[in-house]
Amino acid sequence: MNAVEIKNLSKNFGSKQAVCGLDMTVPMGAIYGFIGENGSGKSTTEKMICGLIPTSGGSIKLYGKDYTDEAVRSKIGVLIESPGCFPGLTVWDNMMIQAANLNIPDAEREVVKVLKTVRMEGAAGNKFKNCSLGMKQRVGIAMALLGNPTLLVLDEPLNGLDADGMRIMREVFLDVVSDGKRSIIVSSHLLGELQKVATHYGIIRHGKMICEMTADELDASCRTYVALKTGEMNRSKMLLGCKYSRVEEDEAGYIRVYDLITPEEIVSYLYENGICVTEIMTDKIGLEEYYIDLMKGGK
Amino acid sequence: MENAVKFEKVSFAVRVKSMLKVDLKRMFKSKFFYILIACALVVPILMTVMMTMMDGSVSVDPQTGVETVIEGPENAWQSIGTLPGAENAGGMDVMSMCNINMMFMAVAVFICLFISEDFRSGYAKTLFTVRSKKGDYVVSKTLVGFFCGALMLIAYFIGAMLGGAISGLSFDLGTLTAGNIVMCMLAKIFLMFVFVSIFVLISVAAKQKAWLALCGSLGGGMLLFMMVSMITPLGSTIINVVLCLIGGALFAIGLGAISNTVLKKTSLV
Repeated sequence: MNAVEIKNLSKNFGSKQAVCGLDMTVPMGAIYGFIGENGSGKSTTEKMICGLIPTSGGSIKLYGKDYTDEAVRSKIGVLIESPGCFPGLTVWDNMMIQAANLNIPDAEREVVKVLKTVRMEGAAGNKFKNCSLGMKQRVGIAMALLGNPTLLVLDEPLNGLDADGMRIMREVFLDVVSDGKRSIIVSSHLLGELQKVATHYGIIRHGKMICEMTADELDASCRTYVALKTGEMNRSKMLLGCKYSRVEEDEAGYIRVYDLITPEEIVSYLYENGICVTEIMTDKIGLEEYYIDLMKGGK
Repeated sequence: MENAVKFEKVSFAVRVKSMLKVDLKRMFKSKFFYILIACALVVPILMTVMMTMMDGSVSVDPQTGVETVIEGPENAWQSIGTLPGAENAGGMDVMSMCNINMMFMAVAVFICLFISEDFRSGYAKTLFTVRSKKGDYVVSKTLVGFFCGALMLIAYFIGAMLGGAISGLSFDLGTLTAGNIVMCMLAKIFLMFVFVSIFVLISVAAKQKAWLALCGSLGGGMLLFMMVSMITPLGSTIINVVLCLIGGALFAIGLGAISNTVLKKTSLV
């Protein structure tokens, strides 16, 4: 059984098609990185999964049941765009309100537990409106974790978090899926962070799923490249560009050669042309570069 | 792994109880609720005292030269309704217009702001994700609005009595009995369901747009406002109470169903 199974999902806003014929599968125990450009339909899809906007077509199944099923829905934790908190109430009151909505029996203990998880136990008495952006985001995640949800839907949860906050979130995500039954759908533009935890990916563009893969499949798809520095960078780039199909200079000033070649081949080729290589290494492109390549149409 | 995840169904009573608990907690933590109750308590005191002081004074329209005699209250019950045989004899009887029935419109302010805050704060997103039954929300908001409205009516009643006592007005009921006053208040309280249902429907349709909800509610409420004094006179009997109860229930069920449909068919964010 999959945690989420979406078939042919569509959503129209007037004449504009925000999501068209989207298929998506999130296995149980997965951390599903949901990636796409701004306005590609990520948030709309997530809102439809959560039942916040009506669908125009297609089906959504959560744990094998229709997404409108009350019992399944009560086990979803959500953070979409902003935490749903009342600004005039304290963090504690907001958490207790959500605990009451979820009919959590030992609410106080549960609230203390999730606030500790996101390191916000010290700010429980603060009014929500007085919290910083990062703190608000942590509260939103704590709220999503209340009631031990089987599915977490998080839209840009890493926004505004500091380095420690991001580390905590990674730990929380891994902890949530550790039993293999619970799943997380997380959309983020911080692809480097996402790559550290995601087990599955879905890439959406113009409302259509263009690619779904596991982390292993992504790893296999990511090209290896050779990065190097020489004494004559411009001439090296020109020479390599003539011989190999894709040569680029990266932000750190290295020349990258993406063709399937060994460093030794490059060193000897440049040496033959009177250029001495000062640094050379091989590496793999990350999710971010893979995604950018995919968006450009290449792979 | 198959079917390893268990989901439990929660009964309607438990769902509504928990949501009502949340809404009541929010209401009692809201400054706005206390401001409205305080206004409901203070306004009749100020109005009764001021009108008593202005009793018999004449205002002249500078354009037409027509003189209007301002009539102060003769009886403490005038803030609640008109006593039989004490109809306005052509003077400017402010008390017959600005009385306890204003609370039916004032509760619109509370409901519109209360519901729009759910959508503005993003709370509705969190709530409707875990609560797919929109009817629970409508029931809870209607009950909380009714509760607030009933408290405002009671506060106004207390304020009117205090104002009457401070102004030294008569508490003579004439041909009426204390039972009629109790029935009148009960009829008004049950009639509150009619107004609350209208305000809840308009507010869930307007969502985060509080100004739209407020304008719509005040406009919608005005259509029924004039009949409040006819349905719930000071000399109300059990018939009035039953009529208001039935009317309130029918409106709450009918408009509640429409509110439920509005929430189901429209975007909640």
